[in-house]
Amino acid sequence: MHLIFQIPELILEGGIIAVIGYTIVFTALLILYYTFLYLGKVLAWNTRRRLAQAGKLSHQETEIEVTGEEAAAIALAIFLCRDLHDDESDVITIKRVSKVYSPWSSKIYGTRTFSR
Amino acid sequence: MNARKKAITVFGIIALLVGLNFMVFQIPGIAEPVSNSTETVNNSAPDGVGGIIGGIAKFISYTGFRNATPGHLIMIVVGLFFIFLAIKYEYEPLLLIPIGTGIIIGNIPFFQDGGINLQLGIYQEGSVLNYLYFGVVKGIYPPLIFLGIGAMTDFSSLISNPRLMLLGAAAQIGIFLTLIGALYLGFNMPEAGAIGIIGGADGPTAIFLSSKLANGGIINGVQTQNLIGPIAIAAYSYMALVPVIQPPVMRLLTSKKERVIRMKPPRSVSKLEKIIFPILGLILTTFISPGALPLLGMLFFGNILKESGVTKRLADTARNPLIDIVTILLGVTVGASTQADVFLTGGSILIFILGALSFIVATAGGVLFAKVMNLFLSEGNKINPLVGAAGVSAVPDSARVVQIEGLKYDPSNHLLMHAMAPNVAGVIGSAVAAGVLMSFLM
Repeated sequence: MHLIFQIPELILEGGIIAVIGYTIVFTALLILYYTFLYLGKVLAWNTRRRLAQAGKLSHQETEIEVTGEEAAAIALAIFLCRDLHDDESDVITIKRVSKVYSPWSSKIYGTRTFSR
Repeated sequence: MNARKKAITVFGIIALLVGLNFMVFQIPGIAEPVSNSTETVNNSAPDGVGGIIGGIAKFISYTGFRNATPGHLIMIVVGLFFIFLAIKYEYEPLLLIPIGTGIIIGNIPFFQDGGINLQLGIYQEGSVLNYLYFGVVKGIYPPLIFLGIGAMTDFSSLISNPRLMLLGAAAQIGIFLTLIGALYLGFNMPEAGAIGIIGGADGPTAIFLSSKLANGGIINGVQTQNLIGPIAIAAYSYMALVPVIQPPVMRLLTSKKERVIRMKPPRSVSKLEKIIFPILGLILTTFISPGALPLLGMLFFGNILKESGVTKRLADTARNPLIDIVTILLGVTVGASTQADVFLTGGSILIFILGALSFIVATAGGVLFAKVMNLFLSEGNKINPLVGAAGVSAVPDSARVVQIEGLKYDPSNHLLMHAMAPNVAGVIGSAVAAGVLMSFLM
């Protein structure tokens, strides 16, 4: 006994469009994936080369990538370091007051004003 | 609890629509528009008392009370319900207030008989609403929304872990299976393509494609229905329902062991990479799918404005006032386009059913593909399959759902940053899919 499934032509056409369309969407994002996978590697290689040229990269260091969490921790540490400590000039200057009269040194407050 | 409340209310609307749709359109005579009102219209202006009476009669024949049909009243109730949900539960208020008010505006009954164009309704040529609706029909608003989205999106998580892009592609299966489902249910090819895009879980993309493929015109030799309203309402409703639809599917397809997989923290991304991403992304994706140019062109343009660092003013405008203005216009006109005679059809109900299925299929597609990827990945590099569910766009709701689900099984395992990668890749994927469907079906 043979079972024959008749798929309507329109649905078959839709199926073909679906398969091709899905493949195209996948291809587009696959290309983006490979592009940025290798772009990241190229940029990391370039950074490593520049650091090596500047003598700042030791041969033992193979990993130069910093995770976002580490970057956030460093940024927070810098922020706290700057924020918690005041910047002081360390220069102490005593300015001479040019006024002759000052209430702080006024004699009038040292005398009794009420007569007995 | 909140999600359950949302589910009950939105499915309540759908049930109301289904029930009333059958009541109104199955009982002969109820759905017929008021046709005898032409008798009262008298364009001549006789003098004296007769003239005054004629004027009053004409005024009455023009009022909403005289022209109301049950369909109008149902839609006004739906509009009020949307506004209630937005205010009471703060449930997507930025969308539901404009859409809800738009539904009321679009369903105020007015005199439409005798071929008289009062230039009032959204479908009447020359009316103010019709001019504003032009932005929907011609697909102008969605690219402008994409410009704003681009200016506010940070692609760092995607750049730092590009393989998660594939999850954004995998979840687009929802679009294509829904297309086949819509054909099976009797929609023609362009309409099926427009309905399929609901599975992309992206409101502007859904409006853009439905304005091209199901706008009531003749597309590729096929007469289409105007499905912009139902498709837009279905897309936005289900996007808001992501916290209800996705978790059961995610739990069904993953084991407890898989749900607690810890992923490597994303690396920090340099400024150069952030600038290169939108430029290369624009060129590569639009070369493959030029149909997506209006959407992806604007998305990546917005992102260049943000990441270049020298156009802060333009980026600020794109992501704040511009997107706000367009959201207002888009929301109110999409709402108004749900005019009862266009919206209350059996087709709308089928669209709502297909939309729900498409979200489920898309979620399953993302989760299952993550599991397949894990078969090829080494122990330390495995992907938590929950992250796959974020491939369905719906930014940022689906990423938030992944984070919440992940925390349920391991309170210290934060998946949000990982989930944002397939989430934004899903936006790109659904736009590419829209472009592909346009090039096939137009």
